[in-house]
Amino acid sequence: MDQVKFMDAFVQILNWLEIHIPAWIIIALVVFTVSLLSIAYLILLERKVASWAQDRIGPNRVGLGFGIIPVVKNWKMWGLGQPFADGLKFLFKEDYRAKAVDVVLFSVAPMIMMTAVIISIAVLPWGGIRQTSVTMTIPAAVADKTAYAQQQFKSYSERTLVGQPVPVAGNDVYAVATNTAVANLPADQYTVTYRYPFQIANLNIGVLYVLATLALAVYGVVLGGWASNNKYSFLGGLRATANMISYEIPLGLAVLAIVVMCGSLDLGTIVEKQCHSWLGIIPAWNIFTQPLAFVLFLVCIHAEANRSPFDLAEAEQELVGGYHTEYSSMRFALFFLAEYAGMITTSSVCVALFFGGWDFPLLPFLRGPANDPMVSNWLVLCIVRALVFYTKTMLIIFIFMWVRWSLPRFRFDQMMALAWRGLIPIALLLLMVTTGVVYWYNGQSYDQMGARMGLTLLAANMLLTLLVLGVSRLLPAAPATNRRVQVANSRFNFAPIPKA
Amino acid sequence: MKPSDILQLQEPTLSLTDQFYLPQVLKGLGTTMKHMFKVVVQNDHRVMQYPEERREDLPVESGGILQKNYRGVHRLNKDEEGRPKCVACLMCSTACPAHCIHIEAAESPWPDREKYPAKFDIDELRCIYCGMCEEACPCDAIELTHTYDLVALTRQEMIFDKAKLLRVFDETVKEEPM
Repeated sequence: MDQVKFMDAFVQILNWLEIHIPAWIIIALVVFTVSLLSIAYLILLERKVASWAQDRIGPNRVGLGFGIIPVVKNWKMWGLGQPFADGLKFLFKEDYRAKAVDVVLFSVAPMIMMTAVIISIAVLPWGGIRQTSVTMTIPAAVADKTAYAQQQFKSYSERTLVGQPVPVAGNDVYAVATNTAVANLPADQYTVTYRYPFQIANLNIGVLYVLATLALAVYGVVLGGWASNNKYSFLGGLRATANMISYEIPLGLAVLAIVVMCGSLDLGTIVEKQCHSWLGIIPAWNIFTQPLAFVLFLVCIHAEANRSPFDLAEAEQELVGGYHTEYSSMRFALFFLAEYAGMITTSSVCVALFFGGWDFPLLPFLRGPANDPMVSNWLVLCIVRALVFYTKTMLIIFIFMWVRWSLPRFRFDQMMALAWRGLIPIALLLLMVTTGVVYWYNGQSYDQMGARMGLTLLAANMLLTLLVLGVSRLLPAAPATNRRVQVANSRFNFAPIPKA
Repeated sequence: MKPSDILQLQEPTLSLTDQFYLPQVLKGLGTTMKHMFKVVVQNDHRVMQYPEERREDLPVESGGILQKNYRGVHRLNKDEEGRPKCVACLMCSTACPAHCIHIEAAESPWPDREKYPAKFDIDELRCIYCGMCEEACPCDAIELTHTYDLVALTRQEMIFDKAKLLRVFDETVKEEPM
């Protein structure tokens, strides 16, 4: 009984919040809080994954009691207190700044990095579209009831009306409108149905926005490297810049293939197109129709987030710490957190683009009616969708970490060759093929064409992969790297190497 | 350096899966996943949870140590009457290569010996635990115990005086010396 009452109260609180506060404010607060907390715990997870891959256990001593809070102070809790202990350590460390740094840029760089990365979360479609209705008093004298109802929502710009306001049957009341212009006029009660997207910002160019803001993060890296006035930082900054700019291209092209296929730049719409099943069981996720694009995207977001095996901007063996060599305390922590925030953002974009967002075939109740799968009449369902989305994101992030502790770092020329000689041509070909298939089906997106277009795209992907594998054997080899160079008057000079 | 000194190594030829990199990436990911599975699911790891688990409790074959062989903190032995055995002959401090033993001799209050140590300080931070003092001692007064977990919050605490060294004897009296 108590549980039922508790749930009742919970739903009532949710409803009150929904009616009185614009949804995006609450969603933004929740999303940013959850992401920042997740970042803290991702660092713990990273250390745990590192230890597991190396046959260790990982941090497991600091519980949430921190050795001071009574009762729980001796509980270890698998090291769950570690992120807070680390954070506290960062806050209280000396904020050292060398004399020769460019003071303004040095301070601004980590902020730019963090801001750019964290604001790109804004357009992610966490829970589809929420539809609900309210009872509204509309004066009888008003001719255009719809426009009047819409006018009432003027502080809630994300709310759009669905259909006409419906009069409440058998409940004709003469209420006094609060609006002074139409005061003391007879009024009727109407049921107004409206919907709003369950996300922070409903941007119809969401994909573009994410790519643009993520590209801004490179300013943080390059400014940090430059302002440090340290050659290792500078080299690290240069490497990171070259890396991020090069991998931006195949990333954009892979995303473009999906955009062409779905016919929209809106992440919400892209998710909507994936919210149905083929043969009743196979979800129509883009990963099944565009596996090659997914692989390209996954490789590129590793480079974009400056993660291993593309983390040569912070190659300890060569560059001390890379662009954040000179940073300490909370400034360093911002760079560090931005890396993980970037992982969250890129992974959630990956989920939205390739894994159907919040859609999950084993939980069919997540989808709305077949003709409008995004719409949900229950607020709790939207929250469950967001949780599914979040879980998928975390799984992708686990892949990031798994890769980091498995693969050695690329050499710089290898990394550049991979982008310019490998990924960019493949991505261009893929884009051409996708465009061709879409053209073949008269420009209709694949949810209209059903499984046929999906299968065609899958076959096209496979063929393209085989073609690339075949053709790359015939291409001329890359110029020799690491070749020995004769130096004038050096005693280490050698006779020309005989050709084997 | 002559041309004949240069050893020309042939790079190993890459197989098809090496050239396309991704198959080998998957292989590597499989290896790490195997390790993660072993640690997380089967709890099979290479870690010792130190203060709770100790190496001396394990057999040597699985990473343990023979604590009986370990030269740890010193102790000053007592005789049957509870007096320090030391006769302040300064043999140990003479033998000590690290000069960490400081003894001040005084006239013995007991009739069976001439001198006894009024002060006997060992700087455990300077000590290299070589066991020379133990070898040099003519009356088996100074000995190294097997205690290895020696910690303190200050340097001063690590300078063991006579009382502390005798206390170490009381704590370790049941252990047989090395």
